Amino acid sequence: MKKIKDFINKADIRRFRFWLQLFFFVLFIYGGYFAINLGNSIPVFSCGYDKEVGGMCYFLPLQHQLARPLDVLFSVASISVLIGFVTFLLWFIVFNKAWCGYACPLGTMQDWLTGLRKKMGIRFSTYTQPQFDKLKKIKYLMLALVIFAPIGVGMGILGGEWRTAFCEICPGRMITPLFVGDVSQWSLDFSTKTAMILTSLGLIFTGLFVVGSFIKKRFFCFFCPMSAMHYIFSDAALLKLKKDGDKCTKCGDCYNVCDMQIKDIADDVKSTNILRDDCIFCMKCVAACPEDDALHVDILNMKLFTSTKGGFAKRMEMDRLEKKND
Amino acid sequence: MTEHKIETPKERLNRHKAMEASAVLEKIKHDYKEPPRAMEYFYDLYERVHCKHESLHSDKAKVGTMCIQVPSEIIYALDAVPLRLCNGFYTDDEIGSDFLPSKSCPLVKATVGQFVSNNFSDKPDVIISPTTCDQKAKSGAIIESMGFSVYDMEFPRTKESHESREYWRRSVRKFTKDLSENLNTKLSKKKLKESIQKIGYAQHLYHKLNILRKNTASPILGKDMFLVTNAFFFDKIDSWIDAMKKLLEECEEMVEAKVNAASKMSPRIVYTGSPPIFPNLKIPLLIELCDAIIVADETCSSNRMFNDMVSVDEWFINDMIDSIADRYLKGCTCPIFTKNDDRKRRILDLVKDYKADGVVYQAFAGCQVYEMEQRSVLEAMQKAGVPILYIESDYSPSQSGQLTTRIEAFVESLKNRKRRQQ
Ligand code: SF4
Ligand code: SF4
Ligand code: SF4
Ligand code: SF4
Ligand code: SF4
Repeated sequence: MKKIKDFINKADIRRFRFWLQLFFFVLFIYGGYFAINLGNSIPVFSCGYDKEVGGMCYFLPLQHQLARPLDVLFSVASISVLIGFVTFLLWFIVFNKAWCGYACPLGTMQDWLTGLRKKMGIRFSTYTQPQFDKLKKIKYLMLALVIFAPIGVGMGILGGEWRTAFCEICPGRMITPLFVGDVSQWSLDFSTKTAMILTSLGLIFTGLFVVGSFIKKRFFCFFCPMSAMHYIFSDAALLKLKKDGDKCTKCGDCYNVCDMQIKDIADDVKSTNILRDDCIFCMKCVAACPEDDALHVDILNMKLFTSTKGGFAKRMEMDRLEKKND
Repeated sequence: MTEHKIETPKERLNRHKAMEASAVLEKIKHDYKEPPRAMEYFYDLYERVHCKHESLHSDKAKVGTMCIQVPSEIIYALDAVPLRLCNGFYTDDEIGSDFLPSKSCPLVKATVGQFVSNNFSDKPDVIISPTTCDQKAKSGAIIESMGFSVYDMEFPRTKESHESREYWRRSVRKFTKDLSENLNTKLSKKKLKESIQKIGYAQHLYHKLNILRKNTASPILGKDMFLVTNAFFFDKIDSWIDAMKKLLEECEEMVEAKVNAASKMSPRIVYTGSPPIFPNLKIPLLIELCDAIIVADETCSSNRMFNDMVSVDEWFINDMIDSIADRYLKGCTCPIFTKNDDRKRRILDLVKDYKADGVVYQAFAGCQVYEMEQRSVLEAMQKAGVPILYIESDYSPSQSGQLTTRIEAFVESLKNRKRRQQ
């Protein structure tokens, strides 16, 4: 048992993550070719506009469901709405935000762009703290768009083109289908003025997505409404990111590697549950922490992966001396 | 007839320092239970450098550092050697007294004193003075006025804020650039990565050895650990690593064989406060002469120097430099910072982790920050039910009688407590 634990704690989490992300990418983008269908309540951006999707992003059905007239929405017919929501929750509750760090195709694509940048020897950019504090609120506005635009349609306040307003501007709609050779989403919808504005915003955001995540690690995830939605339910999840503040030296190593610039991960020594709304549960922080047990990932209060001095030294290649340079 | 030579003042000074050093070395070697064989290397090293004034780095550019906040990773990457100037000699302390107020910290006085006498086995080419405590910052200027080249590296006094992080990162970047110009060497990505990993490896070895001290039968006494870590101030890093590896192996065997460096009832002590620096190991030596054992410490001449490690996400020069900067500022528990919370947490964690029976807090008389924080640490320990002894000391060899009595009494009370608990 101790050996297994030791093995996990010393694991090269980068490589593990790379392969797992690739697996989920193929599963979600090309699942249809293998007749895989995980339903349409997936808690990450596995875009429903991709014809071969192996499981669909929950936001597409959610928006359609919410756009029903109110009397229908609050009738027995809504059982299906409820079922969809419960399925979403079930998926989410087991893995928490690790869906973002390990499964979301849109997240994975951003990591690949980061990889490309690194290969080209270009350094990443970061936000300053005040910028960051402002920007992180946008995702809640986005979530409001996801929920209230369709309700507005249902109530007859907004026109039908607002039904899936978020999807219109989501980069997932344009990018994901590309991987199965479908370019049909790359067009402007001239049917109404609103549709035109929304689809052009979509184009702009897609451009921003590509350029942004090339320069800034996980650029899009800062604004992602799915992430905001996750956070609302994350307290109930089984997988947890925990911190033992007594062991933390506030060295900031975890903050340094965090793609989401989460400051609390290093500075907060009071919270035990250290998962924040931006977190993508990539566990890079745990891997980068040099203090035994200061950070750990728990499932049902059992330590699954925990920070260790030995694991740190191994991952940073400090557990042996390459050669003498004297 | 033998030729009669008149001793120059410098020679006389060297003789005094050598006497001071060798008296302490003799004690360390012989007054305690037999140390691990691998300690021989370190005893010998001190003898060579501090008694015989042998130079270790004649072939390299030498960068003197006034405190641990100066990043060694960068200095090594620029093909120079860092030499920590924090000094423990009473002889130098007395000389320095003429240049600083009489109530100043002995460590600072001794450091200045060494420059007054201009007496080094390896003389630094440039001195880096991070503006940490007032006395250090001012003494940098005093040293400069004696004609040495001193570089002020600006250091923030609050470490929680985002501004301080940015400020220090900028300071470190500037330092890197200026030092590289000064030494006329270009910093390469490869070299920097190598030096981060090499220091990381040294830290890794230190941690492994430290973990062995958690055993009820700890294989090594605190006085030897201080010698090992103090050697990192000036030794060739590769030789240090080799010696450390041997020591580690031997200690692992000792743990296996359940060899105890102390005795069964010896109270386990966590040591904190002003840094014990060779040859001023007065307090640690007294503690362990009174049959206690130092199992862990929170001082910048030992644990604090090795504790936090640099972690890099992307191995680009700027990213590495920022990570290095953070490691020196963020994890540091020096009392010069506005708040002392991290330090209290750290001490408590060490007490728990190393199953210590009590804490000894030393403050150098004249070191304001350590004296001031004594209260907050005492309070925190009392709240947690951890016995603590506060000692004020200096470099003079005279007060040891009174100190011994106090330490003995403290150790006795810990022993009684231990007995009652059993
Ligand atoms: S467009 Fe975006 S929100 Fe809509 S289904 Fe695709 S990924 Fe989900
Ligand atoms: S936060 Fe990022 S990884 Fe998570 S669902 Fe949104 S885009 Fe995907
Ligand atoms: S890396 Fe670990 S010890 Fe350092 S700040 Fe983060 S949690 Fe604390
Ligand atoms: S806090 Fe940790 S798990 Fe969350 S995004 Fe940052 S590095 Fe990843
Ligand atoms: S006590 Fe603080 S300022 Fe003084 S040498 Fe140690 S770390 Fe530096």
